[in-house]
Amino acid sequence: MIFGLVQILLFQSLGELVSKFLLPTLPGPVIGLVLLVLWLVLRKGINSDLAMVGDGFSQYLGLLFVPAAVGVVLFLPQLKANALAIISALIGSVILTIGSSALVARLLSKKESHE
Amino acid sequence: MSEKHSIVEIWVYLSGSPLFALFITLAAYQIGLSIYKASHQNPLANPVAIAILIVASTIQFIEMPYSTYFEGAQFIHFLLGSATVSLAIPIYRGLSSLKGRSLPLIASLCTGGLVSIISAVGIATMLGADVSITGAMYPKSVTAPIAMGIAERIGVSPTLTAIFAVSTGILGAILAPFVLNALGMKAWWQRGFAIGIGAHGIGTSRAFSIHPEAGTYASLAMGMNGVVSAIAIPVIYHLFNR
Repeated sequence: MIFGLVQILLFQSLGELVSKFLLPTLPGPVIGLVLLVLWLVLRKGINSDLAMVGDGFSQYLGLLFVPAAVGVVLFLPQLKANALAIISALIGSVILTIGSSALVARLLSKKESHE
Repeated sequence: MSEKHSIVEIWVYLSGSPLFALFITLAAYQIGLSIYKASHQNPLANPVAIAILIVASTIQFIEMPYSTYFEGAQFIHFLLGSATVSLAIPIYRGLSSLKGRSLPLIASLCTGGLVSIISAVGIATMLGADVSITGAMYPKSVTAPIAMGIAERIGVSPTLTAIFAVSTGILGAILAPFVLNALGMKAWWQRGFAIGIGAHGIGTSRAFSIHPEAGTYASLAMGMNGVVSAIAIPVIYHLFNR
């Protein structure tokens, strides 16, 4: 497990370095993610330590954004004042997004769906 | 020496250390997980939403400033970056599913990503929302750890973005089956991929509970959407907000 964490932190640090010196518009962890995918493609496999840490993170991913989201207490008046706009935008957008991506995927793979 | 006095002393001691913030965060999440399991994984009983509700009400009730809470909880928050890097693992596992279907999937990803931004920002603007609200809508279909990173880069509130992202995930997990059935979508991989684009992590775990193929494609869509959005959203945001 420690070896898995070492690999994750190594790629995170590489990502932060690239972000700081080469690609300031991209968040460091996203660059780290891309570098790690490339590394896994080159090595053609995930070692068990890395898989264990990765699965642990994805299982409890939700916990990690609780501290930031609790900051909602600072925005309560603003959220209340804009409640209608926010709720309509979120519901409308999620329906349109899922609908449009599903339709495009089906449209461009017509041949396969007739098999 | 009254008993009340000593309780206050213990309280002052505990609230000054990270222990209290870490404890309520983990305990609230555990309560959320238990409720979620007891409700047979009903997307309305989302463990993250429950945890946010419990922690926010608790710190309001005991009148603890958010900054004090965050000082302790930042140790959990710090791991977001590492968790983002670890998303490489599900993406790598999903890459083999991309073969032969890359054209429909990439086109679907670009369409969904753009529709998500335009519709959310458009509807919110039309109904007169503040600029700070509409700004935080841009990355709302992206998985929360990446969405918050994007929010920081474009200078909008990561907190509002996280709230919108979590709400989007919950709404998507609830509404996706209705939308996809109404459109007559049959292929599991197309259904899963659309859920992953629209409702990121929360939608993905819902997709996995319905069908494994849908889940694999949902997690691939979530990962690809995260990377592409991290590149594209800052460009789109500055285009619309000169």
